[in-house]
Amino acid sequence: MGKILIRFLVTAGMGFCLLQLSQAHHSFIAVDPNIERLMTGTVTQWSFNNPHSWLYLDVENEDGTTTLWSFEGSAPISLLGKRITGDTFQPGDRITFMYCPLKDGRSGGHLGWAQLGDGSFINPSDGGCAGDEETIARWKEWLEQGFTSKAEAEAAGAVL
Amino acid sequence: MKNYKILPFGLGACLILLFASSIQAQGSNENEELVVVPPPMRFETSSAHYAYLLDQAGGGTQHTVATVPQWPGLWDRGGNTISKTFLDDFVGSSTQEGGRVRTGILTPPYEQTFQELRQEMREEGQQKYDRLTHCESPGYPRFLLEPYTREFINLPHQSWQLNDLMNENRRIYIGQEHINVYGTHSWLGDSVGFWDGDRLIAHTVDILPVDYFRGLPLTSNQFESVEVWEMKIFEDGSQRLEVQVTFYDEHSLIEPIHAVYAYKPATVLMEIGSRIRQWECETSSNSYLTADGETNFLLPGEPGYKDARGATLFPHLPGQSRDPVYETGLEN
Repeated sequence: MGKILIRFLVTAGMGFCLLQLSQAHHSFIAVDPNIERLMTGTVTQWSFNNPHSWLYLDVENEDGTTTLWSFEGSAPISLLGKRITGDTFQPGDRITFMYCPLKDGRSGGHLGWAQLGDGSFINPSDGGCAGDEETIARWKEWLEQGFTSKAEAEAAGAVL
Repeated sequence: MKNYKILPFGLGACLILLFASSIQAQGSNENEELVVVPPPMRFETSSAHYAYLLDQAGGGTQHTVATVPQWPGLWDRGGNTISKTFLDDFVGSSTQEGGRVRTGILTPPYEQTFQELRQEMREEGQQKYDRLTHCESPGYPRFLLEPYTREFINLPHQSWQLNDLMNENRRIYIGQEHINVYGTHSWLGDSVGFWDGDRLIAHTVDILPVDYFRGLPLTSNQFESVEVWEMKIFEDGSQRLEVQVTFYDEHSLIEPIHAVYAYKPATVLMEIGSRIRQWECETSSNSYLTADGETNFLLPGEPGYKDARGATLFPHLPGQSRDPVYETGLEN
């Protein structure tokens, strides 16, 4: 019971933190912020455009084919405040990132954090998915343990 | 495999963040608590309010290029009190659920509409759709609260207030009368003003009906305002640009309301050399209103999808890509 209460409080608190940081010209209702998944792909286009940035990547499927995935990030001016620019992701870059999927199951979602080629983590997210320092710290531990989603971490009891 | 080591870390980090945001309201610096300064008396109309301030200022200070106050650089939001005007027991951003609608502020039809909006937010966790999604202008008073970069350019006969978002450009005509030659209202309305020493007083009328922000009430086409802009310099040398506002709206407000909005220097943006760029929504936004009244996004390959970095209407000609550096058009 105690653990459940703590989980609730922490989840609620983090949700509050996430929402505090959100600012956008649209609602995030199409995305499930509670689902966090890991993905690796090759950058096709970094659309550092207003009103929102979008990162498009080719992601390999198990059968060897590739699918173009689309992920929304924050507005350019907001990203510039985090020192993320129109050159941060370049075509051909292979990056690993966390995202929150579209509820309708299409190949897209919102960016959480992203890991660049030099190993550093950045936060291109907006209000649709958490990419802040606390989320990155949590995921660093999960990455060390080999988790590829929040659900996996939860199933293993490693989630908050 | 159970690992609760990160539990206290996550909780602690979040609590520290929340604590930090709460203590920002203390101290003699740019984070000092915002205080609403209402006008000295109640006015029936915004025009009466503005005329009173103009009279008190003896017709206003006649600045020259050399003396007009300058608020240079890039600015970002620095807090406001407007959300708490409409919501009790409220913490955080108006875009999140929470709080209770304060009664007696809005007129019955506007309060009812606001209650319905907040109920939707309680049920869905957020507002399902924002009119800005289809590229509407934020308009006034939302202009005051919108995030992103601003510039304030003061000249003796005009003050320009520029926002990166939707590239809204507001002009306050100093020492002039209201003019409306369009036969309708506009997103930012018509603003006139005067200087009272280092304070800029503005009167805005003829505004289209909009809202205060996502998650906040609607305004009507009779919404008007009186603003007092002033730069605050704190003991530690930090700056905060504040605007004390009184909003009048015979359709939506029972009584005029008062609030303060603030702006802080966007230090990182200035450090990296960020500049406001012209942009529009038509060629780049793929968010839309669904039949269920919700927000969703078009993806590449779907009918109606717009490639922000694609080509113009003349892709067969050389040099028509809107991505001349990386040439990554998805539909070329």
